[in-house]
Amino acid sequence: MIFENELRWPGIWGQLFVITVFVSSFLSVVSYFISTQSKDEIIQNSWKRIARMLFVVQAIAVAGIVVTLYYIIHEHRFEYHYAWEHSSMQLPMKYLLACFWEGQEGSFLLWMWWNMVLGSLLIFRAGKKWEAPVLCIFMVVQAFIASMLLGIYFWDYRVGSTPFSLLRDVMIGAPIFQRADYLSFIKDGNGLNPLLQNYWMVIHPPILFLGFASTLVPFAYAIAALWKKDFTGWIVSVLPWTLFSGAVLGTGIMMGGAWAYESLTFGGYWAWDPVENASLVPWLILVGGIHTMLAYKKSGHSLRSTFLFFLLSFILVLYSTFLTRSGILGNSSVHAFTDLGMSGHLVFYLLGLTIPAIILLAINWKKIPAPEKEEAMASREFWIFVGAGILFISAFQITLYTSIPVYAPLVKWISQSKINIAPPTEPIGTYNSYQLPVAVLVLLLSSFALYLKFRKSDMKQFYRRMIIISVITVIFTVLIAWQGALTYPTHVALLFAAVFSIIANLYYMFTVLKGKHRLYGPALAHLGFGIFLMGVLISSANKHTISLNYRGIDYGKRFNDLDLHTNQYMPKDSREQMGEYFATFIGDSTSEPNHYYKVLFERMDTSTNEVKEKFILYPNAQINPKMGLISSPDTRHYWDHDVYTHVTTVPEKSNDEETTDEQKFTEHKIAKGDTIFTSKSYVVLENVEKVEKSDKIKLVKGDLCVGAKLHVFPMTGKDYYAEPLYLIQGGQAMSINDKVNDLGLIFRLTKVIPDQNKVQIDIAEVKPEQEYIVMKALVFPFINLVWLGVVMTVAGFLVSLFRVFQKKKSVGSNN
Amino acid sequence: MKKAHIIGLGIIAVAIGIIISMASDYSSYETFSSAKQKTGKDFQIVGTLDKSYELEYDAAKDANYFSFYLKDKNGDECKVVFHGSKPQDFERSESIVLTGRMNGDFFDAKHILMKCPSKYKNDKLDVNGTQEVDATPEKS
Repeated sequence: MIFENELRWPGIWGQLFVITVFVSSFLSVVSYFISTQSKDEIIQNSWKRIARMLFVVQAIAVAGIVVTLYYIIHEHRFEYHYAWEHSSMQLPMKYLLACFWEGQEGSFLLWMWWNMVLGSLLIFRAGKKWEAPVLCIFMVVQAFIASMLLGIYFWDYRVGSTPFSLLRDVMIGAPIFQRADYLSFIKDGNGLNPLLQNYWMVIHPPILFLGFASTLVPFAYAIAALWKKDFTGWIVSVLPWTLFSGAVLGTGIMMGGAWAYESLTFGGYWAWDPVENASLVPWLILVGGIHTMLAYKKSGHSLRSTFLFFLLSFILVLYSTFLTRSGILGNSSVHAFTDLGMSGHLVFYLLGLTIPAIILLAINWKKIPAPEKEEAMASREFWIFVGAGILFISAFQITLYTSIPVYAPLVKWISQSKINIAPPTEPIGTYNSYQLPVAVLVLLLSSFALYLKFRKSDMKQFYRRMIIISVITVIFTVLIAWQGALTYPTHVALLFAAVFSIIANLYYMFTVLKGKHRLYGPALAHLGFGIFLMGVLISSANKHTISLNYRGIDYGKRFNDLDLHTNQYMPKDSREQMGEYFATFIGDSTSEPNHYYKVLFERMDTSTNEVKEKFILYPNAQINPKMGLISSPDTRHYWDHDVYTHVTTVPEKSNDEETTDEQKFTEHKIAKGDTIFTSKSYVVLENVEKVEKSDKIKLVKGDLCVGAKLHVFPMTGKDYYAEPLYLIQGGQAMSINDKVNDLGLIFRLTKVIPDQNKVQIDIAEVKPEQEYIVMKALVFPFINLVWLGVVMTVAGFLVSLFRVFQKKKSVGSNN
Repeated sequence: MKKAHIIGLGIIAVAIGIIISMASDYSSYETFSSAKQKTGKDFQIVGTLDKSYELEYDAAKDANYFSFYLKDKNGDECKVVFHGSKPQDFERSESIVLTGRMNGDFFDAKHILMKCPSKYKNDKLDVNGTQEVDATPEKS
């Protein structure tokens, strides 16, 4: 059958590009491999040239995939499943990029894209010696990623999932595809998940995936070094890449946190969700590796652990890909996972890179140089090593707990179905109890280690400075703990460590470095980390709910817990106390696809009762026909705290037009000025007039429309107006009802009786439709410290990176 | 023995410590009948909403009381009370994961995780926005 209007060429080209990437990457691997193995320089170079050409083919094909897929989405070619599933006609232009990477295939494509970009840079920067082995590893990974997009069947097993499959090929069996003109029935796509329709979705994935992709650089270098048995020469080349990776991946992770805080309703920026953990762990290990590498560079120690950390970091990225894309986390995460049936493929990918890497490291372990002489206790390298070990433990604990769904089936099998383990019921508390001591130790180490020199330090000066810093720290700790009412010993310990870190790093910048800005990198990053954890501590320990609802019934002791009353019922126009504010739900407005609930906050002076401050928050909800209510918070930011609100429930709109049955209407034949009594109000007919324009119905020329102006007076409260219509359109007569929702009254103008000068008004009384929202409001004190800390830490990485480049330049010019 | 080795052993010791202490951290998936026998501890229960009972939620009366009936994997049903607001679209959930404990004859849920396949998986095809064609996606 020939299908009408199907545009086939983008799909064919796209698929061709995917296959080209796969094949050219694979051939490039072979060429780079031969070049690396060859001893003859001429052979090396000729194979390298071939490999580069293949790389260029691969790069063009990657760009080709991106362009074709974007074209399909942009042109709304819904014959393609990807466009149909992730985009829709109404979707604003700016979110088209977001649909691009909403699906799994698109996110693999994003990864592939960054791999290509980083690979291109490496061809220029890696240098003669390292290009072939490093790019060889890069292309292995690229071929693996390309295989995820193949979507080709080998016998019964489908390898990968292509973004270019046709809708009719995915939805096999749907009767619509029996028709040649099926496309004329598919007017619109499914659309982008409303949760993802915001600017975060546009910027967060590219940065996070650049972070993931960049961890391949140290991995590839480490493998290359083991392969070429040059265990030391790679360090200088890889250093700037690791700093770049640390900065970008760190930014990507915390952007996810900021996104969650700004526009999702988890009520925070970090929830130890498996998806968050899966991206944090590789970063922790990468940071550990950066530190041991610096220790090696200055002292010759910790080279073996540097190899281990850099290999692990990328392996953990692969593992996180497996965790988040195989659907294995199903019951334990709020994030949505779609299983594309690629678990086997992902496991193959993971093991195919992990096992050779581990074997290569194991057989070379003894050959990697390590100094005979041990590091001194009073040296920076020793404590860096200890710190890296602690980061390793931190990563181990997070991975072990996040992986519970992975080994739960094994436990079930061993215990013969007796034990069916599940993730902790209180994940935040559980993870915190392990990670808090880690944070304390890392904060302390990252502060005092800077005061130790590599190899050997002057301990007298060290102790003197430590005493000064400790005294200042104790004073500030006591002050802050007292002001912030922090009493738990664990909280105080973390506070002490954070203050210590802030003071020590500031002191270091100003007294030891004495304004040498270029060297600020490490101290700045550590200072940022201290500020970050200070913010984490205060904003979570002192976070409190101000929307406390006590309208509820008392269910006994256990339920008096504050946490159980955190949703506040807010009828319209009723003032409810919320902490130091009075909050009033004053109305809602719609701006498609968002529904905004206006909540007025007023802060009073307690003595004079004057309004000192007022502002309106617009927590919004998208009431999407496909996905129901999706709520987004709105937050009032102050320098020292945030007021965070979100709607948890809104009344479900009943469509009473249909449901009101006929018997409920009572008939009233009345003239102008007459009054009708209902159970809770009286209604006066003020006028009967011809209507030219109405917001209830579109009137065209030749229509005859009459409206009855009704003035409704309830027993108490303000009065209302209603105007039911009587319309003769094209010889057909009909009534158009009007309602007063607050009173539950529906009016109908049924008849106009001109000879009696009367009209017939029918009135139905239904249950009044209460307008209300149920909302939550929380205060996060000093949350800005969290963001400030993150920005400073990333800045610290960048300053160090800048310094590396400057040094390289000066070395270069000296030669 | 080198210091690096001591630190390495220390790390291994802590790691083993974490593995052992895990025993008290992880929870387990239970059914209503097994949860009744183990009171005083939180569990996770996976099940589906029993639609033959009405959902009880009246925001005006108590915005923090929501109750419904869940059918667990064994097919047993039990009343569940959740002290929070009713999640939107609860009726449409396909599978529900509860965290909480038995409290007399009802299950006291601390946390509800809903899986709404319609939200993320698109197994229905809208044709002209009116009729719906059921189609089984090929991927599975």
